[in-house]
Amino acid sequence: MMRSPGTLSAKVRELLDEEVAIPALPAAERSRAVARARAAIEADFVAPAAPTGRASAAVPPRWAASMALALAASVVVGAVAYGVAHWTSEKVPVKAHPAVVVASPTSSIPAAIPTPIDEPPPPLRFHGLPLRLSPAGAIRAELLLLRPARAAVAREDFAAALHPIAEHTRRFKKGRLAEEREALRVKALIGLGRTDEARRAAARFRAHFPHSVLLPAVGQISPGGE
Amino acid sequence: MTSDEGCLDAFQRELDYVYRTLRRLGTSSSEVEDLAQEVFLALRRSWREYDQDRPIRPYLFGIAFRIAAAHQRKRKREVAFETVEPADSGPWPDQALQSKQARAIVLAALDRIPLPRRAVLVMRDLDDVPVGEIASMLEIPLFTAYSRLRKARRELEAAVQLLLRGTRAR
Repeated sequence: MMRSPGTLSAKVRELLDEEVAIPALPAAERSRAVARARAAIEADFVAPAAPTGRASAAVPPRWAASMALALAASVVVGAVAYGVAHWTSEKVPVKAHPAVVVASPTSSIPAAIPTPIDEPPPPLRFHGLPLRLSPAGAIRAELLLLRPARAAVAREDFAAALHPIAEHTRRFKKGRLAEEREALRVKALIGLGRTDEARRAAARFRAHFPHSVLLPAVGQISPGGE
Repeated sequence: MTSDEGCLDAFQRELDYVYRTLRRLGTSSSEVEDLAQEVFLALRRSWREYDQDRPIRPYLFGIAFRIAAAHQRKRKREVAFETVEPADSGPWPDQALQSKQARAIVLAALDRIPLPRRAVLVMRDLDDVPVGEIASMLEIPLFTAYSRLRKARRELEAAVQLLLRGTRAR
């Protein structure tokens, strides 16, 4: 195979050859990823369409042209649709919203790979009350809220995990990622040595999610108290 | 098969590739699951625009690259280079390279290459994507793609040598 420009040494080539094959994910990790993806789809099916059909979108400035087309065609559904008619002075940067761009079947928006959300959602409020997020927006907001909790547990900084877990509980008590949140809670409590609380949390987890793929992780703590 | 089913099916089929690509692009193991979900959400949003006659991996790579880049901008490279080490600190004779160690070295070396150049190198030298397609997928001129590849290979060589010396010195 032609390797110009720049030729790699035999040693580096050898290393790269080892990395070429894609390793398979552990089954539990795969199940969890697919379940989360499926939940995101289902969230859209159970959701009613935004009442006004109007919205904001998480599209960055570099796709402003696409955005303009999208808006012109009224094909964008977003996170703050419920409140858009009463939009107040508390304007929120468009990019920061956890929103989903949905192309209409008739749309001819040029292909553009959407950018990810990269900031936590701002507190969406209308006259002091939280605005409802669109279902897909809620999923993304949940992901963002739980990300620091998962990272904290991974680095064994269990105390740092509790705040995002509490925040997720406050905002999304019965959210799509409640199962994952509760598993993280159990792990964090175990890590902190708060055994009684961990045991109670584990028992609640088993009761609520008897078929969870996360049960093995939660199962580290026994129900009996030994 | 509905659009969502097709998208989920593709995501499921390429899940290993998505995870590994994100790791190659510098995503830590603790963050890769969340970013993979963002890849799925982005794939789903753009599924209608995806030409299903074309290979999906370069398309997924384009999404993963943008997501990893956005995430990296957010983190502002808070993880220092020197914290990235080969997984195994034991003896590592040249003749006994093991796959796991080699992979760890490659990831660590890739992490020393700025993301725009790393993306070109990963697509070309690991995913075997033609440079023309890389340029198209990353929306950069062909000349730029070649230039990035040339420089990235030099950087990879230097990084690997550095890592090998460090490993042997222990």
